[in-house]
Amino acid sequence: MDSTTSKAAGGSSVGSLRPSLSETMGKWAFRLPIIFMVVFFALPMALTVVFSVFERTMFWMEPGFSLLAYENFFFSARLNNFLSSMYYSLIAVAICFVLGFPIAVFLRKSVPQVAQHRVVLLFILPFMVSEVIRVFALRPVLQRNGLVNETLMDLGLISEPITALLYSHTGVIIGEVMSFLPFIVFSGFLAMEAVPKYIFEVCDDLGAGTVRRFIDVILPLAAPGIFAGCVFIFVNGLGVALLPNILGGAGAVNAGLIATQAIAALDFPLAMAVSAIMMATLMGLLYIGHRLFDLTKILSPIN
Amino acid sequence: MNDYTNPWLHRLKWAYMLLIVVTLMSPVFYVMYISFNANGFGANEYDFTWEWYGLIFSDKLLMGALGWTMTLAVTTTVIGVPMALLAAKFYKRAQNKVLPVFLLLAPLFVAPDILGSALLVFFKNTNIVFVTLGDALGTGIFDGWFDLGFMTALIGLIIYTIPYSFVVILITMGRYNPEQTEAARSCGATAWQAFWDIEFPQIRAGVFSAASFTLILCFNEYTRTSLLKGGFDTFTTVLISQMLNTGMSEQSYAMSAFVSFVAIAIIGGIIITTMLRAEMLARQHREVAEPAAAN
Amino acid sequence: MTSPTGAVAPPAVEVRGLAKHYGAVVALTDVDVTIAAGEYFVLLGPSGGGKTTLLRTIGGFHRPTHGQVLLHGNDVGHLPPDKRPTAMVFQSYALFPHMNVLNNVGYGLKIAGLGKDERREKSAAALTMVGLDGYADRKPHELSGGQQQRVQLARAMVLERDILLLDEPLAALDAQLRKDMCLELKHLQHELGMTFIHVTHNQEEAMTVADRIALIADGELVEVGPAKEVYRAPRRRFTASFVGENNIFEGTVTNVEGAVVSVDVAGTNVAVDPDGQDVAVGAAVSLSIRSELVKLTTRGADIATDPGASLPATYKEAVYLGLTTSHLADIDGGGEVVSRVVEDLDEDVAQGTPVLAYWNREDLRLHTS
Repeated sequence: MDSTTSKAAGGSSVGSLRPSLSETMGKWAFRLPIIFMVVFFALPMALTVVFSVFERTMFWMEPGFSLLAYENFFFSARLNNFLSSMYYSLIAVAICFVLGFPIAVFLRKSVPQVAQHRVVLLFILPFMVSEVIRVFALRPVLQRNGLVNETLMDLGLISEPITALLYSHTGVIIGEVMSFLPFIVFSGFLAMEAVPKYIFEVCDDLGAGTVRRFIDVILPLAAPGIFAGCVFIFVNGLGVALLPNILGGAGAVNAGLIATQAIAALDFPLAMAVSAIMMATLMGLLYIGHRLFDLTKILSPIN
Repeated sequence: MNDYTNPWLHRLKWAYMLLIVVTLMSPVFYVMYISFNANGFGANEYDFTWEWYGLIFSDKLLMGALGWTMTLAVTTTVIGVPMALLAAKFYKRAQNKVLPVFLLLAPLFVAPDILGSALLVFFKNTNIVFVTLGDALGTGIFDGWFDLGFMTALIGLIIYTIPYSFVVILITMGRYNPEQTEAARSCGATAWQAFWDIEFPQIRAGVFSAASFTLILCFNEYTRTSLLKGGFDTFTTVLISQMLNTGMSEQSYAMSAFVSFVAIAIIGGIIITTMLRAEMLARQHREVAEPAAAN
Repeated sequence: MTSPTGAVAPPAVEVRGLAKHYGAVVALTDVDVTIAAGEYFVLLGPSGGGKTTLLRTIGGFHRPTHGQVLLHGNDVGHLPPDKRPTAMVFQSYALFPHMNVLNNVGYGLKIAGLGKDERREKSAAALTMVGLDGYADRKPHELSGGQQQRVQLARAMVLERDILLLDEPLAALDAQLRKDMCLELKHLQHELGMTFIHVTHNQEEAMTVADRIALIADGELVEVGPAKEVYRAPRRRFTASFVGENNIFEGTVTNVEGAVVSVDVAGTNVAVDPDGQDVAVGAAVSLSIRSELVKLTTRGADIATDPGASLPATYKEAVYLGLTTSHLADIDGGGEVVSRVVEDLDEDVAQGTPVLAYWNREDLRLHTS
């Protein structure tokens, strides 16, 4: 035992500098991702505001101050398109929530603990194929003589094919639901971790019905996660250009499409203005969410 | 499910859930179906064939794009997942958690086209600033750091995938008792040894899930890559240009289907092996527990 | 453990002016404590009092805000846990779940670079020592709580470090198991001659194992002393309230006369020996006496009581505790007195009966803080 003592005593003099050096190195290693995200994510997103007021040149932009891009956005059909895409995006959020959240509750409540994560894996399966293909494949399903119309006509439910399913706002909504539904299941699943399983038993014991239980207990506890999932769907509904591009008709133009069209037209300040407006929308939503229910709680079930 | 739930209602809920999954998967199934049709997309007749799968490898455009896609996806995974792991460790010990949570989850809430545009303009302007700076200093070493290309696409994809890896790793870390690290330190292990010997084996599943998810997301990503890629083509950008111009080639359908077959096989494999392993462990546990009961 | 050189060996642990702050929260203030080599030392105190913080600072898991930790005379403030001559046993069963019992115990040896056979041999010996022969191939989740703690103990002991830190090692075990493990710990420490520093909030546990006890509350070291002394003659009011079952009376000093201090407790004058403490007339003080040293008698019964060592009270109720029975009475003028007796009272005393609580003068203790 004396040998250990002397070894430890000897080690103390050798080790006096080393830990502090490796400690500082370690500290910076852990900060690396944060620094990366600040430089390549937070900074570019914040700079959209600056770039949006730059002067537009033939192929690029130059420093200056001009509100032309915002004028182009707010005093044109773009604003109407943006606002209506908000409206349709909200509808998609509502549909996703109604269809998807009960699945999250069901998973937590009625599926054995060990199987829960595997069932969630099922909802990752659609991501195995590119969104591009999934959205594109909706065309033959929804078109005039597509799968849905043929089936409905064969069943005798309709006599005329429904044309509004594709190249319309309905088409975009269907695309959004098909693309984003899994996210409400994921976020709902995470959010439901904040609802302990005994809650269901307590509610049964107290005789609270399904609706009461949902409104009084599940909703308040799971609210941060539900909110996060809904915001995710909402902003992606506004921002994914692919959906209106492939499934939408006239007037189905969302912020993402305005931005990419602006880039294709080499109007970079306009693209930046749209990005800045989207940022502002997102910040506003997150601020409201944070005021309503502490959003850092989203991750608290994990801690 | 407790003893009083109506079993039929329970089954109905399961059926509903599976119906949703199948509906979400229907475009995937449709692509698979087309990929075996000798007459291609939109044809009236359906003749089963393997032909398109054989042609994948002779399609120069597709194979070239595939090479880039794989390189990009693998690089993103190799850099992004360890970064997510570091970020998760940082988050765990951080006093103020708002900043890391915001920075690492916010990319989820920025739509692809918006992020792509913002990064595109940022990179181009940074390049201009760097060139000006280099001219002022009389050096060209800053030129072209952020020319659109592999690097910029890589950065875009890391930002896109890091939230997913972060959440997945954080969830697995939640089940880890940090006192084990302290116990290891107390046994004489350095911080790195404690992480590698004790913590990593327990969060390995999460890290590998994050890695496979990152690979798949990168492989299938279109918007950010196409905005930031510069000269080269990836799998999805080839598909889109085909769609918008001539229509997708049959090989592309076959390729997509092939990818989804592989991916589904992997996920299915994971589900089945974890189930088998759980079963095996439970059996071992019973076997060991019996002599213990005799003691 | 004596030093082979014959010189006076430095204490195993010496803590000087140690403080730990978490932002504005003060977990530990200005703690000085010296623990001799080969001692079984217990840090006792209520939860959240700072005893675990002290232990973890000694182990190197926290950096002190200021102050020093010396192990065998060497300042170890800058050293991480793995470079210190300490080993730790944690409250939660902090075993490595992906390793079997043998590998858990042998992990530290593996880190130290020992060969496989030597590791196996030493680990098996350590397992024998804690009574876990034949469990080497089990996984931690296949063990009971008590067994898991034994494995932790073996894992810490096999390293042959000379200071063992135990952070509430028995807190998660049930009462009977805790009692057994207490004795085992005591015997083990005796056999090995290691320095044990054991944190607990359970006074019975502390009394069973400790050579010396340090009381820690609100981040302060309240009192240090041999276990028996802390129990029999606590110096501080807090110690009296935390260790043993003491009656505590608050009062004001009315008269100081050499070795007799008169204290007014709820209107009655009580005499006490200040035991060398300085008190002034008018000072607010506390008096304490162990409940088994207080007797109750109905007032007017012909028992000779010391007028300076009794308080009039009103009988309230009896609480039957198995071996002993506690009789509770309200002191006339405020407060409560408990008398704990092994044999039952001869006759049941009705609630509301006027009684007299009395004791031997020398059993009462005066606390100025």
